[in-house]
Amino acid sequence: MKTFLSLITSVLLAISANTQASEAENYIKYRQAMMKAIGGHMGAASQIVRGKVAADGDLLMHALALAELNRNLTRLFPEGSDFGETKAKEEIWDQWAKFEQAAADAKQATADFAAAAGGGEPSQIANAFKAVGKSCKGCHKDFRQKDD
Amino acid sequence: MRHWPLALLGLIWAINGHCSDGAYLFDAAGCLGCHTAKDGQPLAGGRPFETPYGTFYSPNISPDPETGIGRWSKDEFIRALKHGGAPDGSAYFPVFPYPSYRLLSDADAGALFDHLMTRKPHRRQNREHDLPWWLARWMMKPWQWFLLDEPAPPPSDPTLSRGRYLVDALGHCGECHTPRDWAGLADRGRYLAGTRQGPEGEKVPNITPDRNDGLGRWDGDDLEYFLESGALPDGDYTGSLMAEVVDNTTSRLTPGDRRAMVDYLRSLEAIPGP
Repeated sequence: MKTFLSLITSVLLAISANTQASEAENYIKYRQAMMKAIGGHMGAASQIVRGKVAADGDLLMHALALAELNRNLTRLFPEGSDFGETKAKEEIWDQWAKFEQAAADAKQATADFAAAAGGGEPSQIANAFKAVGKSCKGCHKDFRQKDD
Repeated sequence: MRHWPLALLGLIWAINGHCSDGAYLFDAAGCLGCHTAKDGQPLAGGRPFETPYGTFYSPNISPDPETGIGRWSKDEFIRALKHGGAPDGSAYFPVFPYPSYRLLSDADAGALFDHLMTRKPHRRQNREHDLPWWLARWMMKPWQWFLLDEPAPPPSDPTLSRGRYLVDALGHCGECHTPRDWAGLADRGRYLAGTRQGPEGEKVPNITPDRNDGLGRWDGDDLEYFLESGALPDGDYTGSLMAEVVDNTTSRLTPGDRRAMVDYLRSLEAIPGP
């Protein structure tokens, strides 16, 4: 009976560990897709802001998308999602308050950019876009590993 | 109106940019990043560098007389920066990038010294390096004599020459972007071609104009924009150590200097790999 119980327990433990691991993997896939979406809109917005393409009419769409995508970045990083195929550094969870601040900066910067894109002067738009880039770079500097 | 000659002198001085020369060189040479520990005082040193040759800790280069370089003479500083010689006669490990800084002019090295002396002194005792058993400081003398080779001559075109000065002498880009050989020397044949084993175990990209592995498909504008903002052409932003370089150095350069760096990089031989 004792052996049977311990067998059951270890099977249950293994299942729950497995579920947790795959849940972490799911979040990793989700946030990588979200980051790609952010990068896609940043790359497109950059071409417009720098005057490389004449698509001014689309800038607001990109800016609004960026504001929405950056509304709540911390939820993409649940505890335990630092294992597996991720470039997220452990520092995210070790320095959670700092990470939350970086996410709040991204939210603010993208909201400001959306406001500027909705009728601001070109210089205002350019500066707001620069601030968004700064927040991307600032967070990647502290919290993202390089490719390997 | 009696003071007009003085005012005129002041104006000439300001136009020549003498007040900012040292500060500009300080940014271009990227002193701050390596000589400041995480959450430490600026220039007080103590940042660890894990390398295949042990863990090195950057020294205090703030002008504190006891623990920094406050008692150094300008000549001692220039000798350290360009020739890797400490005031006590010993030789520095090349984790301190004097093989790059030796390309600096004495005037620029002196201006850097003057600027450092205007920084705030911070008291912080230097930490001994953690070296493997087979490595000792005295070996750096013969390393300098027998292994350190002569640098390549600069290009004759003035813009490319300025670019080379910014990339090689001040920016010391090759310290990370060029792989090292068995003796810790930059591998000349793979100049700026990247490495899989860079600082902090990170992969360092190839920045030669190779179309597949390097910057061959980037246009010049994108490269300049990257140096200014850290933005990659696909909308991603650089992170980690290169984000530090963008923050501390390349974003602070004049647009003309960034353009010279890009022109120089695009003039290089394309090397595939790593």
